[in-house]
Amino acid sequence: MTVIIISLLVVPLTGALLVFSFSESRKEFFRSIGLIFSLITFTQCAYLLFSDYARTNFVILSEYNWIQSYGLEISLGISGMSILLLLLTSLLVLVSLLSIGKNHAESKGFVGSILCLHFAINGVFISGDLISLFIFFEALLIPMYFLMGIWGGENRRYATIKFILYTVFGSVFIFIGTVYTSVISYGFNGSLAVDFDTLSNLALTSSQSKTLFLLFTFGFLIKVPIFPLHTWLPDAHVEAPTAGSILLAGVLLKVGAYGILRVSIPFFTEGFLTYKNFVAVLSVIGIIYGAIVAIAQIDIKKLIAYSSVSHMGYVMLGISAGEYLSIEGAIIQMINHGITAGALFMLVGFLYERRHTRNISSFGGIKSTMPRYAAIFLFTSFASIGLPGLNGFVGEFMILMGSFSSYKILTSIAAFGVVLAAIYMLWAYQRIFTGPINNEKNKDLKDLDTRETLSIVPLILLMLFIGIYPSYIEGFVVQEAGSISETIDLFKGLK
Amino acid sequence: MNNISEILGINFVVIGPTLVLLFTTIVLLFCTITISTPVYIKKLITFLGIIATLFSIFLKFGLFARDGITSYFSEKILLDEFSLVGNVLIGLVLFLTFNSFWKTSEEIDSKTTEALILILMSASGFLLMVDAENFIMLFIGLEIGSISLYALAGLNRGDQLSNEASLKYFLLGSLASCILIYGIALLYVSLSISGVYETSIAISFIGPENVPLTSFIGLIMIIVGLLFKVAAAPFQAWAPDVYQGSPTGYVGYMASVAKVASFIVLARLSAVSLRFILEKFNLFFGTVIILSVLLGALFATNQNDIKRLMAYSGVIQSGFILSGISSGVLGISASIFYLITYIIQLIGVFTVFSIISGQLSSNFEISNLSGLGKENKFLTLTFSTFMLGIAGLPLTSGFVSKFILITNLWSYEKYLIVIVLMLSTVAGFYFYLKPIWVAAIEKSDNSVEKIKISISDKFLLGFMATLTIYFGLLPDTLVNITQWMIENYL
Repeated sequence: MTVIIISLLVVPLTGALLVFSFSESRKEFFRSIGLIFSLITFTQCAYLLFSDYARTNFVILSEYNWIQSYGLEISLGISGMSILLLLLTSLLVLVSLLSIGKNHAESKGFVGSILCLHFAINGVFISGDLISLFIFFEALLIPMYFLMGIWGGENRRYATIKFILYTVFGSVFIFIGTVYTSVISYGFNGSLAVDFDTLSNLALTSSQSKTLFLLFTFGFLIKVPIFPLHTWLPDAHVEAPTAGSILLAGVLLKVGAYGILRVSIPFFTEGFLTYKNFVAVLSVIGIIYGAIVAIAQIDIKKLIAYSSVSHMGYVMLGISAGEYLSIEGAIIQMINHGITAGALFMLVGFLYERRHTRNISSFGGIKSTMPRYAAIFLFTSFASIGLPGLNGFVGEFMILMGSFSSYKILTSIAAFGVVLAAIYMLWAYQRIFTGPINNEKNKDLKDLDTRETLSIVPLILLMLFIGIYPSYIEGFVVQEAGSISETIDLFKGLK
Repeated sequence: MNNISEILGINFVVIGPTLVLLFTTIVLLFCTITISTPVYIKKLITFLGIIATLFSIFLKFGLFARDGITSYFSEKILLDEFSLVGNVLIGLVLFLTFNSFWKTSEEIDSKTTEALILILMSASGFLLMVDAENFIMLFIGLEIGSISLYALAGLNRGDQLSNEASLKYFLLGSLASCILIYGIALLYVSLSISGVYETSIAISFIGPENVPLTSFIGLIMIIVGLLFKVAAAPFQAWAPDVYQGSPTGYVGYMASVAKVASFIVLARLSAVSLRFILEKFNLFFGTVIILSVLLGALFATNQNDIKRLMAYSGVIQSGFILSGISSGVLGISASIFYLITYIIQLIGVFTVFSIISGQLSSNFEISNLSGLGKENKFLTLTFSTFMLGIAGLPLTSGFVSKFILITNLWSYEKYLIVIVLMLSTVAGFYFYLKPIWVAAIEKSDNSVEKIKISISDKFLLGFMATLTIYFGLLPDTLVNITQWMIENYL
């Protein structure tokens, strides 16, 4: 099992090095190499899905001495939630590599950066201690910086530096939190070890727990992003290339929520109980605010970006409610949003490659020229809105059900987000696809070709599968959501 | 005979590196004055001199292993962990910068030998400085080292900026030396001591609470003199102009060697001399650290000249390194780790600059880097590694050094300093990523043309970039070395 865990890091990195070692002129190879290596990772994750670890809490499987005199170790491990997110990551990398146009697929820098990003994201989800979590969390920035900087849109300089500075600002708090935790750990164990096993045995005082919760959660919430700290997201999405957007919305936003579920709540539960109402209010504001702003957007990508703010608000509401059902719903919503938002960004990318604009008003009536595309877009929109029978419904329903007992008014307000989602998605669909074709350029648009269809179909199937048979995916997170909510209940009882 | 030399502590192995460098300069001088020697012979002599220096440093380890911490030459010269690490670092700086300073010296046709002699003499001075037990010895070493550096800054006489740099460096540096020697005098007047160990013995004898104010002022003046050399704010005014004006090929050497020597001496002062009264300097050190970090970050954000940017970044890094040194013995080990990783990145960055802009250039705008990545992949890659390392991104040594340092500071409960340092790190990402953006990402019409890099340059740059990544992934060895260094002082 250790071999597979390590190869989750080694394989994408090897792929990246292989791509970089080719000369720039061997254009036809880059995409295939990327596909092969992400397929290997995908297979490994699928294997993990059927292993014993797929339905457990976090298990540390391998440890390495990093700085011996400080007692620091790098620990790697997995859990049910990690495996689901790893699977999502490798699937999204796979389909985004398949979906990208020629100009990106034939650049070795682009494919290499995607694989480096894959490496770093995998690292986040398998790290079993705070140090390696932080290292991979920050290492994400390097490939994202180059992806957005080199292949981004017009205003990429501003967007990239904003993205980097926001994230780094957040990670400074995580960094200080890590340092604080390791100093506390030194007092107990005589070493600075901060792996998750050690952390769960630390007896923190109430004020320590509160401070640490604030430090970690603030850093992770920027990444989620939560309402007042979300402004980097629309800019980053609009300027990032399609594959970057897919991974940004699909996986990078989940890193924040994952961090909160993995670190902030289980280890600093007392702090969580103190501040959870605050987080819940912010996330409900995010749900409604994101949805309202999304209605007013004229750029499709910006619209989906704001819808992400709204959808991630649900995740945060579910997490902050702290009930068993709501946490389970939040994890499932993370997966679902990864699939739908990834699919939507991919679809927008297809349209952008054809017309080089994302302005809603420059389209209209293209259902007649691109029927297959229109059908897939509508399907994905329904999934994103949360139509029963599709995946979006499952997570949102569980979150709203679970959090109603804790936050009656907030949950009622949050439920309106679903209505607003219908407004912005369907109205956008109406403006883009229906009606007469007014713009000459739209008359000879080509429908999706085989490659493009092939890259979107897995996501569509997943949307349907999770929508119809949600208990399959639920089975992987039952244990973990249960133990998180048990910890919370335990501390509630102590209070 | 043997007895007398033992009593006086005469031991030529201890000052071996200094002697070897002196001997090399004499040979070089002899070659230039008497017979017309071809350039490559001079290069060979210099290189062999540096190798011999490294070897004689190696010999000192044997002496240390046999005798432990010992004073020589009537308690003028000290052999301890600090001097050994300082020696090794100065040797390393000489070795890593050899290529750039050789090429620069070669370009100044008529003054090749002068330039080489200045460099080797300054190295010998700084070696003496890190070995010094007596403060007067320290002053002599510092002066030998600095005066050579003043001349080195102004060696490109046709360039106005170079002249300006030299004069500024000289005037402000002499002021710093005045302050230092005045501090030594005050200390001698108040406690009649002038040595590193004497100070701590005297303080423990009269008790930390009875230390007279005069000796406090004296100690602060000594520290201020050293802080001038490392360009910590508010004593940083000379750094940007000197970095900008000096021939680019020399800046890497000048910046790193002075920093190494001064920080090693500061570390020894903190571990030995100020041992019992370190808390009383908290306010002073805290002010210097916070000022350095904030002023450095503030000024670095809007620099167009990248050498000036590196100077202000140096001010920030000085604040970082000082924060560990001023907080206690464990902090010193973190600081030395930081220092080692930082000088490797610093030398790397300036090697890249001197390859791109030519050895003798003074001004080097950020826009001169534009489109570097198009034709010069290797330079861009190494340059980005060094810059990300200085910024402190994970997977590079910069992150590990920051992590160790901040952990130590946190356990010393210096929360305010930690917060200020971390804020400057965030600001740092803004201005360290800017040159990378210009070099690697931005498309430009007049991009840098393909530059031929010599094999030795390639080797050195690759070596430094590998070290930056290596210490980021597996820092254990280097941490152990820095722990060994302070283990006797715990």
